[in-house]
Amino acid sequence: MSRYKKLIDEANREHLRYTTRRHFLMDCVTGLGALALGSFLSSCGSSSPSQTVAGDPMAPKAPHFPGKAKSVIYLHMAGAPSQLELFDYKPALAKLHNQLCPPSLLEGKKFAFIRGVPKMLGPQAVFKQHGASGAWISDHLPHFTSMADDVAFLKAVQTDQFNHGPAQLLMQTGSARLGRPSTGSWVTYGLGTENSNLPGFVVLTSGGKTPDAGKSVWGSGFLPSVYQGVQCRTKGEPVLFLSDPDGMDRDLRKASIDAINQINEEEYTAYGDPETLARISQYELAYKMQIAVPEVMNINNEPDYIHEMYGTQPGKESFANNCLLARKLVEKGVRFVQLYDWGWDSHGTDENLAIDYGFRNKCREIDRPITALLQDLKQRGLLDETLVVWGGEFGRTPMQENRDGKEMPFLGRDHHVEAFTMWMAGAGIKKGCSYGETDEIGYSAIKGKVAINDIHATILQQLGFDHEKLTYQFQGRPFRLTDTGGKVITPILS
Amino acid sequence: MILLDNSGSWTGFSGRMHPVLVHLPIGILVAAIILLLLSRRARWQSLQAAVPSLLLLAFLSAVTSCITGYLLSKDGGYEESLLNTHFYLGITVAVSSGIFWICWRILRRKHLLILIYSFVMLSLITITGHYGGSLTHGDNYLTAALPPALSKFVHQPTNKATPAFKDISDARVYEDLVQPVLNTRCVNCHSQQKLKGGLQLESLALIRKGGENGPVLKDSLPEESEIYKRLLLAEEDEHRMPPKGKPSLSPAETELLYWWIANGAPAGKKVKDIPKNTRIQAVLAAMQPAKAIDQLETVPQTTVAAAAESAIAALTAKGLKVLPVGANSNYLSVSAFTAPTFGDKDIHLLLPLKTQLIWLDLSDTQISDQSLETLGQLQQLTRLTLKGTPIKGDQLRQLNNCRQLMYLNLGETAVTDAALVSLKQNKKLQQLYVNKLKISATTVQQLTQEITGLKIDTGGYRLPVLASDTIVYHKQMN
Repeated sequence: MSRYKKLIDEANREHLRYTTRRHFLMDCVTGLGALALGSFLSSCGSSSPSQTVAGDPMAPKAPHFPGKAKSVIYLHMAGAPSQLELFDYKPALAKLHNQLCPPSLLEGKKFAFIRGVPKMLGPQAVFKQHGASGAWISDHLPHFTSMADDVAFLKAVQTDQFNHGPAQLLMQTGSARLGRPSTGSWVTYGLGTENSNLPGFVVLTSGGKTPDAGKSVWGSGFLPSVYQGVQCRTKGEPVLFLSDPDGMDRDLRKASIDAINQINEEEYTAYGDPETLARISQYELAYKMQIAVPEVMNINNEPDYIHEMYGTQPGKESFANNCLLARKLVEKGVRFVQLYDWGWDSHGTDENLAIDYGFRNKCREIDRPITALLQDLKQRGLLDETLVVWGGEFGRTPMQENRDGKEMPFLGRDHHVEAFTMWMAGAGIKKGCSYGETDEIGYSAIKGKVAINDIHATILQQLGFDHEKLTYQFQGRPFRLTDTGGKVITPILS
Repeated sequence: MILLDNSGSWTGFSGRMHPVLVHLPIGILVAAIILLLLSRRARWQSLQAAVPSLLLLAFLSAVTSCITGYLLSKDGGYEESLLNTHFYLGITVAVSSGIFWICWRILRRKHLLILIYSFVMLSLITITGHYGGSLTHGDNYLTAALPPALSKFVHQPTNKATPAFKDISDARVYEDLVQPVLNTRCVNCHSQQKLKGGLQLESLALIRKGGENGPVLKDSLPEESEIYKRLLLAEEDEHRMPPKGKPSLSPAETELLYWWIANGAPAGKKVKDIPKNTRIQAVLAAMQPAKAIDQLETVPQTTVAAAAESAIAALTAKGLKVLPVGANSNYLSVSAFTAPTFGDKDIHLLLPLKTQLIWLDLSDTQISDQSLETLGQLQQLTRLTLKGTPIKGDQLRQLNNCRQLMYLNLGETAVTDAALVSLKQNKKLQQLYVNKLKISATTVQQLTQEITGLKIDTGGYRLPVLASDTIVYHKQMN
């Protein structure tokens, strides 16, 4: 008998453990009849699509107004590529090559590694104008030059973080500190997904490393975790532990998931924690993904001409494979595909991170796949409703890096926050245009400055959101991706 | 409040006391009515003695408010119709509180009458106060702050007044540009109701008729037309229009009026038909309506009733995803990513949505040519994707019935060259995707000739093989 009593006691304790001081206080509030007032007040303030996600949190939802984009492919070059060797042509900088940096550029500035007085570093690439738009693109991207008339360059993007981690967080979550949801999470929170067999937000990485900021760059922050990015591996099984273990067939798997979800539903009715809903839909998604994911993530069956076009090599981890996968995922209705390619941090500390060696190899690795991606989306009639964004987390200095005041073994540039280049294409983005200007050595932005939350505002705008209204109530105030800033970059919208 | 007169005067100063003084009659009247109601109970009957003196005070303060209010209105800058309503309501409050005081002795025994009169008084001061508030804070001051739960019961004035023209060069000079200026700046006084100076400016015929001092418009001679000349007079001049205290025309509006008169004050002519100098070009450029960025070509401008829930549920049961294109719209988008078996026998399920369905993505489903007739009945369709379906194109001409179709994706189907030509009746088609189809150059040419603005993407892109594709940079190379 005492044994049962022990069990019952434990169950009661467990139950009480869930009833915290906060629950008690909350119950008091409702007991005092303030419930009506509470709901009335909350209906006044927030205009987010639906704060309490009833039912399936990933069900497709309509944006605020009809959007031009249905999906986003975000190509993040982790480490920050040099704009001065790719898109921001500065002949005046070539004339200053190897001269000491004038003190006016250094006074009151802080750099990640440059110390003392560095030398200027002229553009290490040959530039030509391309397309009817006359966009300057360097010979590092020979294939991409054919897309000059399809993209909109943002030449004067600015950030305020000169270290990779915070800068990547700022670029992806709108805040340099941890804890905010990533852009993809906001998008799936707002739109849900039209393909319930696949995750709404997929992350693919290449370059051998994940971004410096870690997985929080695709985390869901304070949003329910169902909205976080699902990282798929491009080698081996795309999602680990997805296939049924030996001895378990699909029916048995279904039955066990149903049973687990039934318990979870009871749990949700009892405690109302949205995380329980997230758990339920994750179980269901995992079950559906068992069939859908291996199918969409398999590039072996793609025709040869597609492999040639992208330069893909099935079975290897590569940016090219990820570009092809991005197209396949978007074609199947995935909302947000985030690619990270690591290896762009060209300080000049070693050959791989040298402007004159490793950087050029990185350019070669992305040139063909990106061009193929844009053209493939175009011929499939998808570019029209897919927003493609390319960029790093900051730019690079017009000065040559002199880490610890020493001469570097290779040519390299330090992190630079004041001006760098990004581009967008597809879904209502003006074709063949360039917005923003830097000074004659590419040091600071002088016209058409773009802040990181302007990029976010523009992405949301194209998807049909008023970025000021896509909010989530957290810790007593509505949060949004663009926080307190953000201006849609209308000059690049068609 | 637009403060045009900086000189200051006793009358102006007293006028500014109005916003303070108005609260006296409101408060006193409310107090009087409360006391009056309380005194109906035997316990508080003694309170009744205070009522007549309060009513007298209310009357006196209401009169003071009326006088200061009148003085304040002389400052100008208030919206005429609102001001008038507030003005007369204010006087009514003053008069009726006076009557209340005078008739108190007779009325005090007639309880029902007192109750009604009190109620009328309360309503009067509320309404008057509301108009007063609207005058100083703008007439949407209250409604703008309504919680969403209530705002749906109130008609919200939409400030998205869409201009009658999309491109300024297509705007009609008099109808779309000049008359709206007259409407906002002049017609308040020069209308049939007020008829200041015997002049009406509501239409071109009335403008040409002139006022009691003769014509105001001399064709092609703006400098001699009173309607223009008076705009330029010094602010103190008594002939100046709009008169002192009323908002003047902006320099751009003045320029516009000059340009219109100088070109013979025509009606019906468009901006592009009239010669322009650089000054007016700048003015016109500023009037070019900004392209609404939240407006899509593929979404009709007209609104539509919501689709039947049951019809949506029937499609959802088949695995299709049906949702509004935007939360502000009843038009629908349907996709079939999770309905690969959707086929000809299910296609009729789309018909109940034919007035709402504008975007339809059936890529990789099983629908064949049999379904095209049904698809042809979806008259509102602007985007249609049939990529990867078993369609051969025999019935492709049925899509000519979709008269709004702008985007059509037939990639990866078996549609033939000959079938594709039958699309030439689709006059609105802008984008046609035929990736992996065997389409001849003549068909492409024929279609683009027949349909203006059509872009056909035949796909099949290849990237050239470049020497640089395989160069790996190493230090040893140099």
